[in-house]
Amino acid sequence: MLPTQMQETSATNRLQKKSTPMISLKNIEKVYRTDTVETQALNNLNLNIGKGEFLSIMGPSGCGKSTLLNIMGLLDVPTSGEVRIDDNTTTNFPDKQLAAFRNRKIGFIFQSYHLINDLKVLDNVELPLLYRKSTGKERSILAAQALEKVGLSNRMKHFPTQLSGGQKQRVAIARAIVGQPEIILADEPTGNLDSNMGNEIMDILLQLNRNDGTTIVMVTHDEQMARKTHRLVRLFDGSQVL
Amino acid sequence: MLSHLFKLIWNKKKQNFLLLMEMFVSFLVMFAVFTLLVYYYKNFKVPHGFQYENVWAVNYNDAVKPDRLDSVALYMQTVRQTLLGVDGVQDITFTSANIPFSFTQNNNFVSYNKNKVLANVYEAEDNYASLFNLSVISGRWFDKTDIAGQTNTIVINNRLKESLFGNDEAIGKTILAGDEKLRVIGVSNDMKIDGDYQPTENGFFRKLDTAGLKYNSTILVKIRPGIDASFEPKLFKVLNNVIRNANIEIEHFTKKRERKNTLSLVPMILLSVVGGFLIINVALGLFGVLWYNINKRRCEIGLRRAVGASGSAISWQLIGEALVLSTLAIILGSFFAVQFPLLNVFDLPAGVYLTAIALAIAFIYGLVMICALYPGKQAAAIYPAVALHEE
Repeated sequence: MLPTQMQETSATNRLQKKSTPMISLKNIEKVYRTDTVETQALNNLNLNIGKGEFLSIMGPSGCGKSTLLNIMGLLDVPTSGEVRIDDNTTTNFPDKQLAAFRNRKIGFIFQSYHLINDLKVLDNVELPLLYRKSTGKERSILAAQALEKVGLSNRMKHFPTQLSGGQKQRVAIARAIVGQPEIILADEPTGNLDSNMGNEIMDILLQLNRNDGTTIVMVTHDEQMARKTHRLVRLFDGSQVL
Repeated sequence: MLSHLFKLIWNKKKQNFLLLMEMFVSFLVMFAVFTLLVYYYKNFKVPHGFQYENVWAVNYNDAVKPDRLDSVALYMQTVRQTLLGVDGVQDITFTSANIPFSFTQNNNFVSYNKNKVLANVYEAEDNYASLFNLSVISGRWFDKTDIAGQTNTIVINNRLKESLFGNDEAIGKTILAGDEKLRVIGVSNDMKIDGDYQPTENGFFRKLDTAGLKYNSTILVKIRPGIDASFEPKLFKVLNNVIRNANIEIEHFTKKRERKNTLSLVPMILLSVVGGFLIINVALGLFGVLWYNINKRRCEIGLRRAVGASGSAISWQLIGEALVLSTLAIILGSFFAVQFPLLNVFDLPAGVYLTAIALAIAFIYGLVMICALYPGKQAAAIYPAVALHEE
């Protein structure tokens, strides 16, 4: 693994060549309303993330990190503001188009893995491919390749319950990359893992970013992990502070 | 996607087993209900084969009749003439007690070559067919010449003709009823004597002779059109005068038919009620299990939405899972149901069973679709951003 300082320098050089942002957020506000309470989760947030950038987001609990990630991942809609992904304004996309767009463009990694325990590892990884036109054979080949990338070729026929936490997260990464998305959104991917496992996962994400040029946005509480990325964004009370 | 659904169901086979069994039992119950319904409907569509609307049945018991046969014949002739003399009576005939829509049976095994079948035996006079407007398809009905023959003559119904002779000619052939030889002189239309929902049966008519008249206790009276029930007391008075010391009962064939039909419907109603309760239980169970599954699988649904499933894809996946499960139950159920026509259980036509299987399949799929639609819609409405943060 390259030292963090070197990685940052090389990534910054690469980023300077890229002008078009992959993700562009303009004046994003998110307000959660109930009958009695109004909570401002995001407040006039502006953020551009370049193609091939590895960005980390940090902040205390409840500052809006996950909300921001959900909005970037088109899983949630802002109360106001504009979300552009790869030069597409997604605000008015109907449900089907949004789902297809998400399927092609974005891969998700979650802190609690979100693997389907009733499906074998290979079937879990195939999941995003089920929602696009592909044959069973194509799905199996691509899923096997993705598992090979994360070093889990020998666990294809296992069920998630037979894997360790680190292995589960690697399966989740394989699932995120199987459809070759341009963006990976990772919500505390190392949060449930010990430091060794966490470093392994971080290495895989760095490799994906470096070798495949995948844009990665990672929410983390771990300062060390965040320092390995190109840029760090800090949130406090729904606003960017750094 | 179908193989994915099969994998999901197979990997959760323990959880799905009870639901599968519930669908399987429902399929079998619906198969039974539909078998009965289809059978009744097929029978219902068959014409009665005779006209009974203006015919009344007179049952008389304990009548004091002369001992000598020739005196009996004279006595019965007096009864006949007296009744025919009543204004409003069009025709009368003496017959055996197993009249249409009655609960009396008289049957015997009859054989021709190696074919041996059970057939109803009716005793009838020369005017029986005309009184009921019963058509003779081939040959003839009884007339005066039938007394003199050495072999007893009979008229068989079309069903018995097909059972014994198939497509061959039956007229002139002699069949055996025990040791007795009976010569076929005519083939009549089938009479649906057990009501609207029961099938026609093998049967033959033999001529009611003087010996038979001695023990006769049934008279069929055809009344003229336009005569209503108010005629009954008048007829009763005449009968009471001519047949002394007898318990006389007059029944209308239309009423007899209704009673017979009601009785036929009892098993169907019972089975439908039991089936209905079971189906309601299955529907509620299915609905509950699917609803429970959705709540249990909120994270999974959120994940599927995140990786590219649209709301409708989620909805159809859940409906699809229920349909795949019901398909497995139907395959299992069909295996058992198909044994009925293969083994000729209950001697029903294979078409009845096959139609019932098709209807039961359609019903189960319909039920599952209905029960899965709303939970499916609810699943589609799950907000992925929320579901993915639930544990």
